[in-house]
Amino acid sequence: MYDFDYHRPGSLDEAAAMIAGKDDVKLLAGGMSLIPALKLRLARYSDLVDLGAIDALKGIRREGNTLVIGAMTPHAEVAASAEVARAIPALAALAGGIGDPLVRNRGTIGGSIANADPAADYPAGVLGLGATIVTSRREIAADDFFLGLFETALKPGEIITAVRFPVPQAAAYCKHPQPASRFALAGVFVAKMAGGVRVAVTGAGPSVLRFEQAEAALAKKFDPSALEGITLAPDDLNSDIHASAEYRASCVVVMARRAVQRASEARAR
Amino acid sequence: MSHAARSTRIGEPVRRREDHRLITGAGRFSDDVTLPGQAYAVMLRSPHAHARIRAIDSRNALALPGVIAVLTGADLRSDGLKPIPYNPFTLHPADIRMSNSDGSPPFVAPCYSMAVDRARYVGEIVAVVIAQTTPIAKDAAEAVDVDYEVLPAVTRTVAAAQPDAPRLWDDASSNVCLDADVGAKDATAAAFARAAHVVKIETWIQRVTGVPMEPRAAVGEYDAATQRYTLHAGSGGAVRLKTDLAKILGVPAKNVRVLMDDVGGNFGTRGMIYPEFALVPWAARRAGRPVKWTCERHESFLSDFQGRDLAVTAELALDAQGTFLALRGSNIGNSGGHPGSFTPLQKGVEIMSSLYRMPAAHFRARSVVSNTAPTRPYRSSGRPEVMYVMERLIDLAASEFGFDRVELRRRNLLKQGELPYTNPFGMIYDSGDYHDAMEKALKLGDWAGFPARRTEARRRGRRRGIGIANYVDTATGAPRERAEITVHPDGRVDLVIGTISNGQGHETSFAQLVNEWLGVPIDNVRLITGDTDIVKVGGGTHSGRSMRMGSVVIWNSAREIIAKGTRIAARLLESDPSTLRFENGRFRVEGADRSASLFEVAAAAAQLGDLPEDLRGPLAAFSDETFNIASFPYGCHVCEVEIDPELGTLEIARYSAVDDVGRAVNPMIIHGQVHGGIAQGVGQALMEQCYYDPGTGQLLTASFMDYSMPRADNFPFFSTEITEVPCTTHPLGMRPAGEGGTTPALGVFINAVVDALADYGVRHVEMPATPERIWRAIRDARAAPPAGRAR
Repeated sequence: MYDFDYHRPGSLDEAAAMIAGKDDVKLLAGGMSLIPALKLRLARYSDLVDLGAIDALKGIRREGNTLVIGAMTPHAEVAASAEVARAIPALAALAGGIGDPLVRNRGTIGGSIANADPAADYPAGVLGLGATIVTSRREIAADDFFLGLFETALKPGEIITAVRFPVPQAAAYCKHPQPASRFALAGVFVAKMAGGVRVAVTGAGPSVLRFEQAEAALAKKFDPSALEGITLAPDDLNSDIHASAEYRASCVVVMARRAVQRASEARAR
Repeated sequence: MSHAARSTRIGEPVRRREDHRLITGAGRFSDDVTLPGQAYAVMLRSPHAHARIRAIDSRNALALPGVIAVLTGADLRSDGLKPIPYNPFTLHPADIRMSNSDGSPPFVAPCYSMAVDRARYVGEIVAVVIAQTTPIAKDAAEAVDVDYEVLPAVTRTVAAAQPDAPRLWDDASSNVCLDADVGAKDATAAAFARAAHVVKIETWIQRVTGVPMEPRAAVGEYDAATQRYTLHAGSGGAVRLKTDLAKILGVPAKNVRVLMDDVGGNFGTRGMIYPEFALVPWAARRAGRPVKWTCERHESFLSDFQGRDLAVTAELALDAQGTFLALRGSNIGNSGGHPGSFTPLQKGVEIMSSLYRMPAAHFRARSVVSNTAPTRPYRSSGRPEVMYVMERLIDLAASEFGFDRVELRRRNLLKQGELPYTNPFGMIYDSGDYHDAMEKALKLGDWAGFPARRTEARRRGRRRGIGIANYVDTATGAPRERAEITVHPDGRVDLVIGTISNGQGHETSFAQLVNEWLGVPIDNVRLITGDTDIVKVGGGTHSGRSMRMGSVVIWNSAREIIAKGTRIAARLLESDPSTLRFENGRFRVEGADRSASLFEVAAAAAQLGDLPEDLRGPLAAFSDETFNIASFPYGCHVCEVEIDPELGTLEIARYSAVDDVGRAVNPMIIHGQVHGGIAQGVGQALMEQCYYDPGTGQLLTASFMDYSMPRADNFPFFSTEITEVPCTTHPLGMRPAGEGGTTPALGVFINAVVDALADYGVRHVEMPATPERIWRAIRDARAAPPAGRAR
């Protein structure tokens, strides 16, 4: 690990002031990806601003038909939250399946989506539910947020404060894990919303993506059978030592079908 | 499984004395050693798979505050350090001899502890940086400017053997270091000529790594006054490390001391000396202060000795009834960047035919170098590879020629009355009841009830398969071992022995032997294994040798203690030695109410002034033996898997193992060894692989994010059974138990996977059987025209 200066502001304004003017600063929002990268000397920053002491960034609340999760809420809290379980049980299950207990107790939703790892779970939930990312400066629709490999619409100095999730009629997340890391090799979040069906895929492409053909088919009939004959072109998907693009494409369809099945069952209960 | 321990004698599942220390963090591992004034070393490693080192400029590194030294291959040569002493072949006379079939000597190049002119794999050490702290040393390592001329690289085994492959040594005619013929060529060819059936397999037992829980670490010291080096480093054995280290440093063995306490895993990975173990004490001498180095996990993946990596083509000839006639083929072992160890190749090919009656066999055995980390024996060196090949051949023969898999094995498996049996490579299997082990495994795995389970799984959309594999394990290893027992009057017994526990529980199982033979409570037995100033002789822990050889030298020592003690007790009790009996720790006068404890006798030995010369002083005895006979543990495993055909994922539904150990000292420890062994073997077959990019030679699996280690939830509860058919070549009837879990696991697992996919017409699945491999096998078989399906 290279040397850096560590800061722990108590408020958002204080954090903003610490970031201002520094071009080599990184926000620390749990550090479950950042710390290992620092330890391996794969990343180097002059300053780390730890958002962990800013209470305004934490917590879960329901606002009408919207679930609001503070950016610094750890995965374990989302997984265990009765509020989340009532509103979007699929999101609680997703959070409960991230990494291991250590990661779930330290890692946060804001940190996860700001990092935009192409195989992370939260981006699938955020995009699949059509959530809104609230930042220190504006609100960004999920569809506009994830731009590519570890790339988001966040501007320098912009801090995620919360994520606002519309409550779906039914939703489910199914993940086929890479055997070593257990990150998603193909993770599919399916949500039936008032305005239609959204299907988000993580782990398969360079960034979380929407499976539009599946969405159109499911909009007509929200049932696994609707995905019969639907395929995903492997052209833009990832190939690595764990799986080829072709295999990933096949798995995405299988996981989509299973997610619809799970969502239908959850809804029926 | 086992009953609760009724005593602490031989045969009882005594709880491990060492576990409380180990699981409460009170173990003392190499990295726990910290010496006053120590500096820290960081190894600068080659980022290239193959590169000539044109120049190394350390000026910028040396200019950083806190940097003590940057040592390079040139320094190493000018200081006169010697190459790492290899034992390319096994140290045991029972293993077969191999030499080049053209009569030339095998190619073995000197391997120094650092690259001198050329780096031959990613991770090879190019310089050692010593600094006040590890972070400073890391900064300095980044500041060292190495001028590399990158050369073409080759990593894959078969490719490396090609005449036009990039060459690792300019003075070798090819990358093939050894090209041997074993078995009988003409007899084998004749048998193939008259065979009714011939089945063939071409496969690669892929490269894996041991991943010990404790990464390597070393602390080196040099005392200028006595000119003595001390190395603190965990290893498979202290004595061998000492002698190898002395050879590299070019000093007499007495000028080197090796110390180690707890060792967190070996599996062969930690069996032989590492370059760092020589560099650190040398650096300590250069720096004039102790030097410590701790391996980080990614560094372990790059630089730990790796295992397996054998490319095999094999054919089995059968007559019309299914009787095996002959076996032939070719094995190519990949020894990595330096031609250091032909052992796995040798230990595998000598038992290619396993426990089956095989009238003739012939193999070509080659060893190649490639631009990959060096390989060494890895848990059950060479045997899991060849057992996998043999058991796959049998299943393939059964499916291609219409035999029942189990019947085919029954027909060819050696019967007890045929033993001792000399296999076609010259190995002599001493004793055992192979059929009994197989029948017990079939029962334990409920082979008969499998069809119902398959049908039930099918209803859930799953494909269920079952596999069986017999195995034999040749245990040889360094043949010499020594034990010394000293009885202290205060009630303690010291046992000094030259083999060390790397997690196998010697503090308990060896103490059980002492308890059995000397009646001493196990908690009063102190095991001394990790200090070469005390332990002078011993071969270390490998090839199932610790208990196999340890038991005999401990037994001999204990008997001599009793013999000596009887004569001393006779003086003490004023009786004739012939009237004394030793039982439960006391010498008793028969027919009289007089006795003396072992410890009273030990006190007398120290105090009585008029004892004969040979009885005076501490009550102690030693035994130093050389074991020139191999041992052949055997058994049979049955595995059942369930496959999700849409994804190619699988679940191991059942795993049953029957392993014969001749005589079990601590069945609980043996069951534990079998469990770990199964996980290690199935881990390879299911998911593990050191994946080198074929183009660049970069290791793409250098962290747990990419190297698939099996976890507890990858396995069911194992059903393991021990059988005890006494070994006729061991004075106490024992067979080794540490490797049997792994040896059949590769074959039995792949057999189960292929059986699950049989209905699709899948003939074979290569290791590791990843979800994508299984998914493709199903897809390709579905796409193949029915005529192309071998069923």
